[in-house]
Amino acid sequence: MATPASEGESSTGTAVALENVRKTYQLGEPVHALDGVSLEIPRGSYTAIMGPSGSGKSTLMNLVGCLDTPTEGTVVVDDQDVAALDSRERTTLRGTTVGFVFQTFNLMPRLTALENVALPQLFQDVSRTERHDRARELLERVGLADREDHLPNELSGGQRQRVALARALVNDPAIVLADEPSGNLDTETEADILDLFAEFHDAGTTMVVVTHERHVAERADRIVHLLDGKIERIETLDDAGDGTPSPAGSEASS
Amino acid sequence: MRPGESLRLSWRSIRGHKLRSSLTTLGIIIGIAAVITFVTLGASLQAGVIGDISPDDQRNSYGWAAEPGTEGGPLAGAQPVFSQNDLETLDDDEDIEAAYGYMPLSTQALVYEGEITPQSDALVAAGPPYIRENTLEEGRQFEQGEREAVINPAVAGQFEEDVSVGDELTIALQGGQQTTVTVVGITDTSEGLSPFEGFEPSPRVYVPTDPFYTEDAAGAFPGAIGDGGPGGDGSGDDANTTDTAGMSDGALFLAIVVEAESADEAAVDRAQESAIAYLESDESDASELLGDDLEITLQTSAELLQQLQDVLDLLQNFIVGIAAISLVVGSIGIANIMLVSVTERTREIGIMKAIGAQNREILGLFLAEAVILGVVGAILGTVLGLVAGYLGAWYIDLPLVYPYEYVALAVAVGILVGIASGLYPAWKAARTDPIDALRYE
Repeated sequence: MATPASEGESSTGTAVALENVRKTYQLGEPVHALDGVSLEIPRGSYTAIMGPSGSGKSTLMNLVGCLDTPTEGTVVVDDQDVAALDSRERTTLRGTTVGFVFQTFNLMPRLTALENVALPQLFQDVSRTERHDRARELLERVGLADREDHLPNELSGGQRQRVALARALVNDPAIVLADEPSGNLDTETEADILDLFAEFHDAGTTMVVVTHERHVAERADRIVHLLDGKIERIETLDDAGDGTPSPAGSEASS
Repeated sequence: MRPGESLRLSWRSIRGHKLRSSLTTLGIIIGIAAVITFVTLGASLQAGVIGDISPDDQRNSYGWAAEPGTEGGPLAGAQPVFSQNDLETLDDDEDIEAAYGYMPLSTQALVYEGEITPQSDALVAAGPPYIRENTLEEGRQFEQGEREAVINPAVAGQFEEDVSVGDELTIALQGGQQTTVTVVGITDTSEGLSPFEGFEPSPRVYVPTDPFYTEDAAGAFPGAIGDGGPGGDGSGDDANTTDTAGMSDGALFLAIVVEAESADEAAVDRAQESAIAYLESDESDASELLGDDLEITLQTSAELLQQLQDVLDLLQNFIVGIAAISLVVGSIGIANIMLVSVTERTREIGIMKAIGAQNREILGLFLAEAVILGVVGAILGTVLGLVAGYLGAWYIDLPLVYPYEYVALAVAVGILVGIASGLYPAWKAARTDPIDALRYE
């Protein structure tokens, strides 16, 4: 249960597939947060989602992260149709196949770094020793082996985001979903975190980063530009991965 | 999630807000402690009252005649209807070990070695078995027909020099006459020997009905007959009945004591039935005097105490009820804190849900928190209540009796209070939408 089929055995090469997804909110009059979006996120890919406020980034994230269901269309996460699942199954899918990284870190304030990393496995009934072994291993990989007993408020912003990344990876998810992961970090720390993202991506993790900053998005393989609930265009970048702008053009993106 | 993990997490958040959690728990502590204290004191009080009945006393049934429905315990509204003749007949009954009259006599003072102490209602006339062997500290029972008396320690110690067995004691009666008795025994307690006397310690002199109350003595102490019950009620009626009783042995007793063959419940029942059957039959003198107005009550100490116990129970229930209100207030406190806690931790709930916590796991976490507060409050409250009960019983000088079943009950109540007050907040937490919760500042 803790190990989804992220290593590619017997499953398709697609981590997330959205097909003609529409999400409508009834706010007096219907508002189309997403208006017919189709997108495939292959396993092992690194995708950035860009767009101005109100373009539907958050809605798209909620759908991919199994927090929400589409009004129309299908969202398939790790070969499972999210809309066909009940709330409990959706929670399990979310817990095991999606790892979240938030702009505000969102660590549990009264739990230590180690416990925060181990928390997702707590909800999957993994034993205590196993949980802590796994959490220690990940903390080591993000370079915080000596900080496992610290509370979040005893850590710097960059360190907190590393803990959050370790937590996102603890269940070996099919996809890591990062929402403005460097929004609260200074330039130097931002670079460190993004390097870490690249490192895990190189190790095979599927990454989706939502951002409105060009240089963050440029770390990805491709950038999906959203505008008014629609995919404006998909920009494929060279595999350089370290910020060299691609010639594919950024002419129209605001 | 495993229950143990859930408790651990909940305990962490309780410890995260020490002051708040302590204050919340305090409400429960006070509620439970108040209930336990009053229940302990109530049980101790009952033990103090009922524990005074010696095993021997269980054989005795105490009877008197009064108008049906008279309230107020033993001897309330009693009229003298039992003749010496009746008592002798009952005494011969095969179901009855002994039957004798009981009569409280009014006094003015007790005189010992020239020292006078004013004393009213200190004299009790009864049959020799009324002084049970095991209640005698020294000496022996008095004998019928002799001017002998058994006194209790309160009388013995009342004078400058202690009265001891063999001494002479002079009793000044209501009418001014004096009579001298020889002290033949001293009881081990100053508390009453039967429900007729009441159980509070008080000086008492026990004398045989003969010669102090039967026909011979009646002439010598006219005042004694004229004054009926301990409350001095209905003296007018007494005078009449005394006249009509002239046809038998003259003196009529206000009350009777019927001793059964054994303390066995069946034996006691048989003795009571035989006595009532005879007293209500045409053969007895009592039946004539009973008429249509009076009814005989014949009960054991335990049965008589049951009435007292009923009153005590009522009082206790009342106080426990008031104490329970503070429990309710306490649980409202928990509910309030939990609601605040849910709102305050909306974001944490969102995080947990995002990383895979099921609704029921969130529910479990918050419920566990409320239950922990309730149980900790209940345990501390119980300890506090037991200590307070101990101090209270010690202060009022009661034998301490712990109602242990209430301790278990208190913990159960703690869990219930926790669940009841935590359910809504926990349900609210479980229903939190993770999308909104993550956006919550």
